[in-house]
Amino acid sequence: MLLPAAALLPGCGAGAGERAAAEPAPPELRGTVLEPSWEKPDFTLADTEGRPFDFRAGTEGFVTLLFFGYTHCPDVCPIHMANIAAVLQDLDYAERSRIRVVFVTTDPERDTAPVVRAWLDRFDRSFIGLRGTKEEVDRVQAALHLPAAIRQPSRPGPLPGAYAVGHAAQVIAFTADGRARVVYPFGTRQSDWAHDLPKLVAGGPWPEAGLGAAAAGG
Amino acid sequence: MQWWCSAQGLAWSWTWRPYVGVWILVAVLVVWYVRLARRSGGVDAGRRRAFAGAVASLWVALDWPLGALAAGYLASVHMVQFLLVALVAPPLLLLSIPDPAWKGLARRPAIAGALEGLTRPIVAVIVFNGLVWLTHWPRVVDGLMSYQAGSFLIDMLWILAGFVFWWPVVGKVPARARFGYPRKVAYLILATVANTGVFIYLTFSHLPVYATYELAPPIPWITSREDQQAAGLLMKMGGGLVLWTAIAILFGRWYQAEEGSGATRAEKA
Repeated sequence: MLLPAAALLPGCGAGAGERAAAEPAPPELRGTVLEPSWEKPDFTLADTEGRPFDFRAGTEGFVTLLFFGYTHCPDVCPIHMANIAAVLQDLDYAERSRIRVVFVTTDPERDTAPVVRAWLDRFDRSFIGLRGTKEEVDRVQAALHLPAAIRQPSRPGPLPGAYAVGHAAQVIAFTADGRARVVYPFGTRQSDWAHDLPKLVAGGPWPEAGLGAAAAGG
Repeated sequence: MQWWCSAQGLAWSWTWRPYVGVWILVAVLVVWYVRLARRSGGVDAGRRRAFAGAVASLWVALDWPLGALAAGYLASVHMVQFLLVALVAPPLLLLSIPDPAWKGLARRPAIAGALEGLTRPIVAVIVFNGLVWLTHWPRVVDGLMSYQAGSFLIDMLWILAGFVFWWPVVGKVPARARFGYPRKVAYLILATVANTGVFIYLTFSHLPVYATYELAPPIPWITSREDQQAAGLLMKMGGGLVLWTAIAILFGRWYQAEEGSGATRAEKA
């Protein structure tokens, strides 16, 4: 019987295909996997109690979902928040307690701390709300390769002076090792979150580790 | 301006919007009925009321605000729309047709022949339930509801399904002598069981099944999961209410018919 040459040479002589088979595969995710991943940005903004919140330290060791939006948003923001909150309620406590959701307002003018808190509490009281000046928030978004939010005239309506805020619509997921690894665009459904969140909590191996790619900067 | 309600992805507003296609449908129905009534030498008040009820059901179900909410915001309102369009309007419309018009239909062999096959009770219940499943299938709903033509197609399929389903019960052509009250009652009871599949699917699916409603600009008072469960319950309870009301009416008529034939037999004896 003929045996493949690689099978006769175990250990360091094993082929690449065999190495890949031996190593656990990265989890299959429905979000858009970032390759290479990004470093978690280091910033501090005020939380809804007015206290400084160090994002990197405050979310260290947690799977963290970061989203930039505003409370007057008619569609994307409440849909993302509602879908994440609904799925978090389905997870068991062990998984749930290893996830942080951080919402950064892109409309600091209208989104005072109590407004943000009240809005987030509609979805989940554990969600963290952060505020900063527009410049501060723009800097954080730039570090994450996101465009700065822009103020836009809203459709004619009953409230004079009302405006909309154009902002990035994706949720960025950081794994417990402090890397941004997956992006969830608008249109992500509860079934997608339910599929991915336990895998994110369970951990890698992540593509760059598995494929030996160089770690990327933020 | 839209001619038919469809999912637009815009935040819900109580600002009125015109849907010209719905008005045209209502106008066509009214013109058709007025001409039918004239050709039939007039219609009695009961039939006029039935027609008014049918048109009102369709108009309310398809126009703003119900039509707009149903198309792009709430699965539960979509279900109310289904009940009105498929279960309420068609039997009323069939009941409003005057006898001479039925006779005229019977004299057209091609149409009568087609009706003979399509409205056979077993065929009707299969066609109805097939269309109900099809038009509630997530891929179909999500694929069609964001287009006016797609939303229109679903509404027309519901009307068609409703006509096919109710025809054996209230249609007079073809005359089905053997399909009397007991069988009509049994047919409707069967129908109350047949919609259980969609009810279970919607009510007990843990996650939202329709992207259209899950990703719609939210309506503050209800979550997408609650909305979907409400849709399932409405299908079962609302549909049940319509069907059991019809069953009760049939029982009443059956009783009257039996009483009448009993009195006739007594007179003859």
